[in-house]
Amino acid sequence: MTRGYLRPAAFSRLGFVVTGLLAAALAGPLVSFHANRILPGDPRSVFACLPPALAAGLVLILAAAMAAAFFGGGWPRLAMASLGIAALGIACGVAASRLTATGGSWSRVSPGMGFWLGLFGLVVLFADAAVRIRFSPRARLSLVFLAGLCLAGFFYSGIWRDVSVVREYDARAADFWREGGIHIMLAAGSLMVACLIGIPLGIGLKFSQALRAPILNLLNVIQTIPSIALFGMLIVPLSWLAAHLPALAKAGINGVGVAPAFLALVLYSLLPVTANTLIGLRGVPAPVLDAARGMGLTSLQRLGRVELPLALPVILTGVRLVLVQNLGLATVAALIGGGGFGVFVFQGIGQGAPDLILLGALPSVILALAAAVVMDALIALTARPAP
Amino acid sequence: MISFEHLTKRYGEATVVDDISFTVPSRTVTAIVGASGSGKSTLLRMVNRLVAPSSGRVCIDGEDIARIQPYMLRRRIGYTIQNYGLFPHYTVAENVATVPRLLGWPPARIEAKVDELLTLFRLDPGEFRNRFPHQLSGGQQQRVGVARALAAEPNILLMDEPFGALDPIIREKAQDDLKAIQSRFGTTLLLVTHDMEEAIRLADHIAVMEGGRLEQYAPPGEMLLHPATPLVEQLIGTSDKAFRVLSLVTLEAAAAPGPPPPGALPLPASLSLREALSELLWSRRNALAVIGDDGAPKGSVTLEAILRRAAGPEASQDGPAAERR
Ligand SMILES: Nc1ncnc2c1ncn2[C@@H]1O[C@H](COP(=O)(O)OP(=O)(O)O)[C@@H](O)[C@H]1O
Ligand SMILES: [Mg+2]
Repeated sequence: MTRGYLRPAAFSRLGFVVTGLLAAALAGPLVSFHANRILPGDPRSVFACLPPALAAGLVLILAAAMAAAFFGGGWPRLAMASLGIAALGIACGVAASRLTATGGSWSRVSPGMGFWLGLFGLVVLFADAAVRIRFSPRARLSLVFLAGLCLAGFFYSGIWRDVSVVREYDARAADFWREGGIHIMLAAGSLMVACLIGIPLGIGLKFSQALRAPILNLLNVIQTIPSIALFGMLIVPLSWLAAHLPALAKAGINGVGVAPAFLALVLYSLLPVTANTLIGLRGVPAPVLDAARGMGLTSLQRLGRVELPLALPVILTGVRLVLVQNLGLATVAALIGGGGFGVFVFQGIGQGAPDLILLGALPSVILALAAAVVMDALIALTARPAP
Repeated sequence: MISFEHLTKRYGEATVVDDISFTVPSRTVTAIVGASGSGKSTLLRMVNRLVAPSSGRVCIDGEDIARIQPYMLRRRIGYTIQNYGLFPHYTVAENVATVPRLLGWPPARIEAKVDELLTLFRLDPGEFRNRFPHQLSGGQQQRVGVARALAAEPNILLMDEPFGALDPIIREKAQDDLKAIQSRFGTTLLLVTHDMEEAIRLADHIAVMEGGRLEQYAPPGEMLLHPATPLVEQLIGTSDKAFRVLSLVTLEAAAAPGPPPPGALPLPASLSLREALSELLWSRRNALAVIGDDGAPKGSVTLEAILRRAAGPEASQDGPAAERR
């Protein structure tokens, strides 16, 4: 035991970061109490808003997480991080219910600075544990699925029913799911269209040296236009089109709304998909191509059986980039009436209601995070080491 | 039979293969030898139309290959390259099955062929069929590459520096395996190498190339005795020609009938005279007894007979310069 203390290698620097964050979580306000949804909050610490037994339990669990961050291996870290996140979630829910019971039905209880710092510290610990354990791609996919189940479990258990964000959700549950559907449709649908255009375009550019530079430069320029500006720029030609082609207008396409948002996302997605397809195809080892040709594969067979499969990890890297980027950008689509989770963000800003902002921001962040982990696992599954 | 007729390949100003004509008989091994950049690969790749000739033609059994669809031609001809070019995303079995699948063989036949070839190349099918190339050693990859080239039972096999990436010990074993499999299937084998030793070991004929031109096309024995140009003579070696001549003859071929003299060293009939000479010198004996595969005596060879075979032509007594005239 003593030897473990003396050896500096057994001492993880991450421990300081996590301990600092968790200590701040315990010292700072776990929740903040608002007399109504737009009044500024009144901070409440762990000890002020939880029954003593629960507060003690939370302190114990967070202390154990700090210890794991200093001395634990991958699995203890993973266990304590998960336990800590669950405990923090329960504590927040219980605190909200207790304070609302005394504060009346207009009052709101939102997660405080302490909650967010603690959550951040525990997520850092969790990510570090996952890296140490070196989960296989399949295990990572299961982990995301499991995390989703846990989140849904907490949500539907009712333990968070008095937390402000959930109160905002309750007031507009139908809107939430409709805008969520639009959000995913915007991000994933534009990605799909971008793949349908970008992958064939990338294949074409492999053969046409002359078109390669002009097209990639054009796509590059589009990438550099700020999203708001691109949304705005598309309003003009689309409203002109809608005005002159009644068929388009009848199909719901006009200057504002989903159409320009979708189109802008497609345009943003084209460069990563096209460029990565080209890079992936050009990265196929020359001896492999020579052997394929020498054995009598036609050029179409080479493309389908050798080049595209070997380029797939690189293409998927582009797809990952686009998916994560679009899940974020789709939030901005609400500015031009495109819908999505951004609707709540901008409504919240307009009403000065931070909880409503969170209702839009949280699912966007969670979706982007899950998409990143899932895509990374898929890329790892398709990659083959060179012989 | 593969005949090269005034075959020429130019890239811009450079003539990479220059008016080459010769004929490779069926079921023989021809080694194309030459320095790097001498045009060996280009010559080889014109046989399966990976490179189109600038002029001249290649005929296989009298048929001009320019009349055959390239991809159809290639499925009839085995092809291996220096780094094997195994498909990293295919298993060993899928790699080997590539051409049979293109040809639409029924799955059962493909599976049987894959297992047969893997066994032939000492790769236990149960252990190796489902491995990926990155899970194989260099020598195993090389064997999978050759197995893949032979899968559709081609009459012709083209190999571009097939042993170049192997270390010397594995290389000799791989050469022996290839020779055995070539004579078993009766394949016409055209192989590129820059190693004259390898060419002499394996080939029935050697084609020496330099700067795109064919310097000489001849059996190794003839090339040793009568090199056509100074370059061929330099390639084939000046100091150890006698040993190279001996390495071309097996004990089986050199054995004199009759019972061996007393004290003769028993040696297997498949050994070359070069190896036999070494054994005799080392064991301080004057004669050896040739023993067949079945253990039966097959005659004898004396030290003196070996030395007589190692002697060059009469004219060479004045030194190499006189021989060239
Ligand atoms: N596609 C090509 N374009 C231009 N030059 C080439 C091409 N392929 C080969 N060469 C040139 O032809 C010459 C012979 O090449 P190669 O047949 O590969 O030689 P070797 O196999 O004997 O080393 C080299 O000088 C090489 O640079
Ligand atoms: Mg070469």
